[in-house]
Amino acid sequence: MQTTSDLEQCGSRPLRRISSPPLITTVEIKKTCGINSANNLSIKRYPIVKKKILIANRGEIALRIIRAVQELGYTAAAIYEKPDNEALHIRAADEAVCIGDGPRVDYLNIDKVIATAQKVGACAIHPGYGFLAENPAFAKACEDAGLTFIGPASEVIENLGNKVIAREIMAKANIPMVPGTSNLTAGEAGTAEAVEFGRKYGYPIMLKATSGGGGRGIRRIETEAELVESIPLARSEAKAAFNDDRVYLEKVVLTPKHVEVQIIADKWGTVLHLGTRDCSIQRRNQKLVEIAPSLIKDQKLLDTICQTAVVAARAANYTNAGTVEFLVDREMNLYFMEINTRVQVEHTVSEMITGIDIVRTQIKLAMGKKLSFSQDDVQLRGHAIEMRINAEDPQNNFMPEGGKTVSVYRSPGGYGVRLDGFVYQGYKIPEVYDSLLVKLTVHGYSWNETVDRMRRCLHNFVIAGPKTTIPFYQNLVNDQDFQNGQFDTSYLETHDHLFEYTDQRTEVNKIARLIAEIHFRQENPYAI
Amino acid sequence: MEHIIQGMSIKEVLSTIRGTDGYFITNTASDLSQSDFKNRILLHTDLLAAPAREKAKYLSLEITGGASIHVDILRKQVDPFLKLKLLREKMPNTMFQTLCRGVNLFGYRPYPQNVIRQTVREFAKYVDVWRVFDFLNYIPNMQAVFEEVQAAGKILEPSICFSTGPEHTNDYYLSKVAEILAVTGEDILLCIKNHGGLGTPKRIGSLVEAIKGKFPDLVIHYHGHNTDGNDVGRITAAVLNGAEIIDAADHAFTGYYGPPPILTVIDTLKDYGKNPATVDVEAVIETSEVLRNEREHYDYFESQFKGFSPTVQIHKLPGGAMGSSFEQAVKGGFLDQMPHILHEELPKVQIELGNWWSVTPGSQIIWTTAVSNVLGGERYGNPSGDLKNLLLGKYGPFPFYQPADWIYEKVFGSDWQDILAREGGKEDIEDIDLEQERASLTKRLGTEPTEQQLVLYLQHPNDAVDFFKFEEEFGHVHVLPPSVFLRRGGYEVGETIHFKDHYGKEHIIEIGPKQLDENEGKWNIYLNVDHQQRIYSFQEESSAAAAAKVPEISGKEIAELAQAGDMRAPFSANVCDIKVEEGQLVKAGDTLLIMEAMKMQTPVNSEVDGTVGKIFAELGQSLKAGGKLLQIEIK
Repeated sequence: MQTTSDLEQCGSRPLRRISSPPLITTVEIKKTCGINSANNLSIKRYPIVKKKILIANRGEIALRIIRAVQELGYTAAAIYEKPDNEALHIRAADEAVCIGDGPRVDYLNIDKVIATAQKVGACAIHPGYGFLAENPAFAKACEDAGLTFIGPASEVIENLGNKVIAREIMAKANIPMVPGTSNLTAGEAGTAEAVEFGRKYGYPIMLKATSGGGGRGIRRIETEAELVESIPLARSEAKAAFNDDRVYLEKVVLTPKHVEVQIIADKWGTVLHLGTRDCSIQRRNQKLVEIAPSLIKDQKLLDTICQTAVVAARAANYTNAGTVEFLVDREMNLYFMEINTRVQVEHTVSEMITGIDIVRTQIKLAMGKKLSFSQDDVQLRGHAIEMRINAEDPQNNFMPEGGKTVSVYRSPGGYGVRLDGFVYQGYKIPEVYDSLLVKLTVHGYSWNETVDRMRRCLHNFVIAGPKTTIPFYQNLVNDQDFQNGQFDTSYLETHDHLFEYTDQRTEVNKIARLIAEIHFRQENPYAI
Repeated sequence: MEHIIQGMSIKEVLSTIRGTDGYFITNTASDLSQSDFKNRILLHTDLLAAPAREKAKYLSLEITGGASIHVDILRKQVDPFLKLKLLREKMPNTMFQTLCRGVNLFGYRPYPQNVIRQTVREFAKYVDVWRVFDFLNYIPNMQAVFEEVQAAGKILEPSICFSTGPEHTNDYYLSKVAEILAVTGEDILLCIKNHGGLGTPKRIGSLVEAIKGKFPDLVIHYHGHNTDGNDVGRITAAVLNGAEIIDAADHAFTGYYGPPPILTVIDTLKDYGKNPATVDVEAVIETSEVLRNEREHYDYFESQFKGFSPTVQIHKLPGGAMGSSFEQAVKGGFLDQMPHILHEELPKVQIELGNWWSVTPGSQIIWTTAVSNVLGGERYGNPSGDLKNLLLGKYGPFPFYQPADWIYEKVFGSDWQDILAREGGKEDIEDIDLEQERASLTKRLGTEPTEQQLVLYLQHPNDAVDFFKFEEEFGHVHVLPPSVFLRRGGYEVGETIHFKDHYGKEHIIEIGPKQLDENEGKWNIYLNVDHQQRIYSFQEESSAAAAAKVPEISGKEIAELAQAGDMRAPFSANVCDIKVEEGQLVKAGDTLLIMEAMKMQTPVNSEVDGTVGKIFAELGQSLKAGGKLLQIEIK
């Protein structure tokens, strides 16, 4: 259900009257959940000074969105759970509302977030990434409440979030996909289908539960005998776990590169791409380092990847910003993986090489604006690398270092350097959220220059308190294969030496510790 | 006259000395630090003095060896090898000299032959002159060091330790010199090591004359201490009777127990027509001008008792042990007993144990025995493990006479003769497996150690590991001046500390406020480090304070608990070895742990038969008397 609003540029579909917004407007809000009284369905008028956008997220992405909102001249409203009450996004926003004790409960509470948006008089919600960002119910609830959801339409999120439907859409559009079966027929017939698939595409094969996900209900099969043996087992397991015994097969793509394309699409039918990114450097499917553009040398292949992404987005009726993910195998075959219907953590690298502010564009597109440039206007310049500086101990299986206080925070700067972070000196990292502290993105004219710049920045980056991924990245930028752009998703497993580094503390910090101890004890306990 | 510089062979050095009219001076900086500043003079200070000392053209600078290597890692937190490397950069020509205790190296008890050789080889890369001694003047104890020094092409300076008394005749010492020459050949310097500053000038003059009379070509290096205030007199007598080299130190730092001032020696001898061969007096003065401002920061480590101690002629404590003896008396609360210990018990023990030379490690044995005799109430009632080893002849044979039977009986019990027959005599200490030591150090460090780290570990295993860990945690701290490193009472708020780190980078640290976080019960120290604020948290109560709170229990209670299998530290000491494991069967009399106090080791033996239960003690742990060691479950 769509409510009309007299607020310009703030509807979920294009408005006919396009003119500069008046300084003072009013917004009509339909109460969907009772804040003042349970059955209050009357329409109230709230006078507001500027259009207001609620940021339904925390951490660095909340800050990133707040900046874009404020640059557009809008008011940024933040929400937070109690464990985040020291967080920077609250301070940076124009206003902030505590929505509960959390953790990871209230940020996920659709009703609460929508009610808060209404209470503060927001006309739109930016979901960031994670939390509610790819929850179609949330997008739907926004639409129903007359709030602009900054992202694609709820049915698009729904369709692309469902593996089977997404595959069907892409198959229709002739998008290359990892060879796989549809749900196997029950009984012996299904096993015969599976054996035939195995003979055609070879092993290894993934046997997946249709209702599985997030790594659950997946087994890797190496031989035909194992396949025959595994299907009944997998079915009974799936039945037990998901109450759905349907399974299907997918070929395993060995040591692929993870290449993705940033898409932006307006509500007027224009779909553009902002080039490729390579996110192959991951550990356990979590990206650590992302670069743009992909270093694949075959420009024709890169063009094909980008064009394919645009076709895929069109096929899905995609609007706003999104990411089409592919795998590229060693023979340079391209396979569609999925479309992420949100702003990605690594959007910064595409921004650096195109000069296009993706979050600003997201907001404008959500408000019905047309894309003001064409594909030809999108020029890729140079290279960008983003490294996720996490409060984790790479030497201890990337164990999170939450709960620790950042006692020193000294960040690099200068030409071609961008920081998207949210921590500050003295900040205690909550244990209950993710461990990303800051994204360090650098831009350079050539790949070598970009790597050199990253090395310099890592050298000048001092974070004390929690262990971080910085020393691991320092090894990474000195690794020959990384410098040569030769890496795929097996990179970390095959480069053990990246984990060999010693204490990251600098000499002066070590000596300062001693001076602090002499000062505290009133004598040097190591000299007495 | 050619100046003797680092790198010359022993033959060149000897011919230069013999061809020179004047005498030579060794700047005994390390012994000064040991004797008058409890060994705490920091590398930072020696580096400040280095350019002027280099200009002064001494024969050598005694800057390492003795207890200094242990104190370097234990209290100064500096790598003894790095120290020599850094000094060498500033002093390219001056020879560096060390003091080596022969078979006891730089420690307190005999080391295996392969450890001795490995250690000497490693240090010989940096040290030019090797003064070697043995506290029993037992020449075989020095043999391995002699060989390695000569093999490394360095200058060997064997010593005869000097003392006084009816046995200490010129004839005796001449026989020792002959014994040394028979082993080393004639290309050596000979040291008369007067570590107590004993005897009169006349006595020293007579000894030098006697040696020169019998061995006219032998170059003599007289080493003394100014404990009685008369070492300039002894030096003068030594030089007038033919000694070519003497020891003295920079006057800005001279005290009561170390060497006398260089300038005073020079001025005194000048009137006798004797001049130093090379020494640049201006540079000697300049060195002290540089050093003068540093002295106040070492105040805490100077002797609590001002003034010379002429009674050294009675108690014979070496200069290097004077300060630490008084320190122990203060810490142990027996300062009032010191006159009795020094003037009655110590001389008595000295005679009873054989009237040999009171110098490390023998001086520690005499000292701890005398202290324990007085404080324990029963003479020889609580013998240390080292005293037992001495009596068993593990350090070498007694030079003049064996202690009386009653002492043996007191120490070993009625079957002392069997024990002496069974265990007595010097035995070769078996070589240890160096690769195994390397492996265990690797395990403790988590990385492969360097050769030099291994050498330090072989000397002082626990202290070396603590030092390596300190360095990892706190960096290279020799860059801090004594005013910072040895500061007492904390810094002033707003005080800024400028320093250049080991890698040459300039830093500035500003002291901020200190706040108590009452919720967490910890103190936050705020520092501004290179313009960035940093916070350091410490628990409100220091561990040292907490340890001090452990109630001391009486010796009787400790003994009673031991009967019940509850083993407690018998006195305040460090755990230096744990001989048993949890679950191990033990019998009464089995050694459970070794405790170390005042550099002396004492075994803790089981009083009962049983099984070792929980072990509370940790290697290297410092315990008060009554601190829990381990539990034995009695059968």
